[in-house]
Amino acid sequence: MSAYSATEPSAASKWVAGTLVTLYMVITLLPLAWIISTGFKTGPDSISYPPKVIFSPSIEGYVNLFTDRTRATPEQLATMPPPENFVDEIVQRRGEVITGPSRFGERFLNSVIIGFGSTFLSIFLGTLAAYAFSRFKVPLKDDLLFFILSTRMMPPIAVAIPIFLMYRELGLSDTHLGMILLYTGVNISLAVWLLKGFIDEIPREYEEAALIDGYTRFQAFRKVVLPQAATGIASTAIFCLIFAWNEYAFAVLLTSGTAQTAPPFIPTIIGVGGQDWPAVAAGATLFLLPVMIFTILLRKHLLRGITFGAVRK
Amino acid sequence: MQDTPPATPADRLARATPPTLARKVRGLSDRSIAWIFVAPTILLLLAINIFPLIWTIRLSFTNFRANRPNEPLEWVGLRNYERILTDPDVWQTMQATAHFLFWTLFFQVLLGFALAWLINRKFRGNDLMTTLIVLPMMLSPAVVGNFWTFLYQPQIGLINYAVEFVTGIPASSFTMLGSVSLAPWAIVIVDTWMWTPFVMLICLAGLRSIPDYIYEAAEIDRASKWRQFWTMTVPMVLPFLMLAVLFRGIENFKMFDLVVLLTGGGPGDTTLLSSIELKREAFEKWRTGYSSAYAIILFVTVFGLASIYVKALNKVKER
Amino acid sequence: MSAFIKGLLALRRGPWEMLATILIALGVVMLMQPFALVLFTYSFLVTLVGTVMFIIVSHFKE
Repeated sequence: MSAYSATEPSAASKWVAGTLVTLYMVITLLPLAWIISTGFKTGPDSISYPPKVIFSPSIEGYVNLFTDRTRATPEQLATMPPPENFVDEIVQRRGEVITGPSRFGERFLNSVIIGFGSTFLSIFLGTLAAYAFSRFKVPLKDDLLFFILSTRMMPPIAVAIPIFLMYRELGLSDTHLGMILLYTGVNISLAVWLLKGFIDEIPREYEEAALIDGYTRFQAFRKVVLPQAATGIASTAIFCLIFAWNEYAFAVLLTSGTAQTAPPFIPTIIGVGGQDWPAVAAGATLFLLPVMIFTILLRKHLLRGITFGAVRK
Repeated sequence: MQDTPPATPADRLARATPPTLARKVRGLSDRSIAWIFVAPTILLLLAINIFPLIWTIRLSFTNFRANRPNEPLEWVGLRNYERILTDPDVWQTMQATAHFLFWTLFFQVLLGFALAWLINRKFRGNDLMTTLIVLPMMLSPAVVGNFWTFLYQPQIGLINYAVEFVTGIPASSFTMLGSVSLAPWAIVIVDTWMWTPFVMLICLAGLRSIPDYIYEAAEIDRASKWRQFWTMTVPMVLPFLMLAVLFRGIENFKMFDLVVLLTGGGPGDTTLLSSIELKREAFEKWRTGYSSAYAIILFVTVFGLASIYVKALNKVKER
Repeated sequence: MSAFIKGLLALRRGPWEMLATILIALGVVMLMQPFALVLFTYSFLVTLVGTVMFIIVSHFKE
């Protein structure tokens, strides 16, 4: 009889567990794989029955995503100059001509600007507040922390009603600044809670030593605490960025043109006649891929992020 | 500092601010730094959250309409609240929300706990698999919801095809999002797909927080595996599970983005969750006063649940 | 049970928070139950009372 341990699972149970989890993983990743592969299909391939797993890849979806096109008659096409590049060729083969670039690029850029802008602001303000909450006696500390967290729980649609009215008065509706401020307001609670957890873990002795060496409190914060908290700040920033990147409710209610981000835009992508699934899939792929990469980078801190720093593993 | 013995509160206070140190601190006092650091956050939250909230409360007692801002404002007292809380249609949307809430939590807890329990067997590659399984929950619900409408297409959709493949029911014979009986389940499936990893991660943390010696002691006592599971594993994981359930409960109570893109509330109001109904009232019918009262009702409910959530959070933090 | 009542009388945080939690939970159930419209009508009041109570009693001593 081999050595028996109460805590080490047997080889057989490991094998069963591994198989079941692998099965779940395959099923759960299938929709994601489908999104990515549909982006490389042609229109007819994407809606064929039975669904095509093996197909000849095409970048038609991506071409459609970035261009606006119109249908052209064969006579019109005949009078056109021969296609200059592969993009024109793909479009003309389908009997269409490019009328201009689509608005996807713009919307994607808006997502980047608003995402990074609000992340920067919430990290900047959040780090200061978290440091104060972690190190100083702030009056009503628990109430303030609860208040800060509760703001994140508010239903977005409920908040959007007065924000809509307020922004209309202030001229902030459909502006980058308005969206950055709004997302900062939502993200700052997460930033404060997460960063407070990270800063709590830095021993106070470091700062005290720095203070004795003649640093002021502010210098100690900048030169001792900030470098120590760098990992925490980085992972908090990624969490804020992902939230702002993914947000839909505020974006669809408060933006319509100049400041519209990608999530409300992608569902409105339609081709010439009907929803253009390869283009939607291409847009979704470009939009989701950065988040997938960030998630993998963030895996060690995921648990902290989703529990506001309460569970540290 | 290691050599100081455990001290009375007075001693600890004295140690916190040694005189040599206090003298060295130049510039601003700690107190003013604390205020300077906290104030911008509080001000921003007051401007973006509290001021609008107070405005909403005020509007909820009026018949204001945002598309006709110049009409005279009439105070209607509690009539908006009265209308909402006695309206069978609103009650109906709350039940649709309840259906969504209950079943998503049910499946997510079941699957999430089972997965965590399996992953905790520590088989080879479990870290990598955990990371991959987690992916769906970090993605944009709007984009994901939009794409699932494609997966749910009758005839050409992947889901319908998979159902045909497994059960033999023809793929074109049913539409998940278009049928009154299937649509409420279609949204449950997508939400479960997306958020099971969330429950799984938190349960996994709970399972890993159980020290090994507890099981070793139980083995010595010859407690059966089944008994160990119910008397030790489950109670130890329960606070974590509560946390996950409360958070998902709050999130799904105010669910908007995913479902609005999947079904938009249809067919025939079967998936009309409270947030979607609120959006229609506020931004399509422009009954701002009425929807402000509606918003306050949702808000108070969420706020109440959030207080319980923070209590649960602190409980887990102490572990 | 008697300890619970003693705690209430002595204005201790634990039992009062428990009571507020129960009220909030009750309010949420009343809001979404499919059985009686009258329960739905009064759910908001119950939740509101529970929430306000929770905020107040969380300042009581442990």
